[in-house]
Amino acid sequence: MQRPHLILLASSSQEVLELWARGVHSFAQVSRTSGLAELRNELLRTKPQMLLLDHQLPELGGTRGVSALIKLSPETTIIILSGPLSDETEWELFKTGVRGCCPRDIEPQQLASVVQAVQKGELWIRRTLTRRLLNELWAIALEKNNIKQAASDLLSNLTRREHEIAKLIGNGESNKQIAQRLDITERTVKAHLTEIFRKLDVRDRLKLALLVTGSKSSDGQPRTDASGRTPIVS
Amino acid sequence: MQPITVAIADTDWGRRTEFEHSLQGEQGIRMLTNSTTTDGNALNERRLTPRGNISAVEEVVARTRRLNPRILLAYLNQCTDAGCAMLVSLRRECPETLVVLLADESAHEDQVMLALAKGARGCVNPKADPTHFSRAAQMIDRGEAWVPRKMLGKIMDEVMQFCHANAEATLDPAC
Repeated sequence: MQRPHLILLASSSQEVLELWARGVHSFAQVSRTSGLAELRNELLRTKPQMLLLDHQLPELGGTRGVSALIKLSPETTIIILSGPLSDETEWELFKTGVRGCCPRDIEPQQLASVVQAVQKGELWIRRTLTRRLLNELWAIALEKNNIKQAASDLLSNLTRREHEIAKLIGNGESNKQIAQRLDITERTVKAHLTEIFRKLDVRDRLKLALLVTGSKSSDGQPRTDASGRTPIVS
Repeated sequence: MQPITVAIADTDWGRRTEFEHSLQGEQGIRMLTNSTTTDGNALNERRLTPRGNISAVEEVVARTRRLNPRILLAYLNQCTDAGCAMLVSLRRECPETLVVLLADESAHEDQVMLALAKGARGCVNPKADPTHFSRAAQMIDRGEAWVPRKMLGKIMDEVMQFCHANAEATLDPAC
């Protein structure tokens, strides 16, 4: 197991800080803060690997406050410890970038398990919220599919030659390389590119490359193959 | 409490029958096989041989529609378009049926992720103890996902990455 360099604990309650420290002191260097200003300073100064944050820390400002702390030290993994939170609040915290939520009065031994699980890349989330997570993943897949379709539709407005050049741009080739490959002058390549940019309403080759790569079907989109005999689920 | 109806999607009939037997009688679940329907009427082993005029995807969707299980356990073999198409079709054609992947340790995480993105609601190891299936079925029936916490972490990463990319694209007027 990877040993964290530093775990920062933040709560205005000394009793709570003591409880948390008992859970993690055996495998981490522990630092404590009891106010928001001090917490910000410590985050900037020490860049801890992990922050155990009391959601009731005075002046924290809920999810927005947590988001601001993440911006201060993006490399710090945050676990929120709190009293009962609504599903909505907890979900918002996770979408902000928090990697775990658990009760403020958690047993030290249990807290150690949570910290170690999060260190391994696990998400410490209530099972009841996992439905939202999967729904979100599904919605993203749909959205990506729509983007891919839209990019594909746009590219269909190009002539064969323009499409060919757009594909080569997508592969990262320079105008010179394209000219050599297609046996045309660089000036002709530039002329085609101007027309491609106009048709697709993009400003530069990077945007064009993104559009071309975005239109490629590479993540197993729902297309039935001819035989239909080798499915992911059989 | 009503038992949760479970069926298995597997074109390897020997393996499927063996698996059906191993889960039969498990507390809290009721196995649906080719000889049963949700209302208990015998159908006497319909369609024991695959029909040449329909694809495997269509066959699984048709069987699922006929058996109408709450949970469909489906083998994760390989990541293909047809497999994804099946998950999408099942979600569209059989919205009340929740698909759970059967994937052992050898299954690639990306494949599982892709299948979850296409509508699967969980993932269990086919070699697990039968009581494990019963528990997973109950959780999934309640609407929860049955996915290892590490996988949940990866899904969250994907969600965050997409949100950030979207936010950046919104800020960039050229996008």
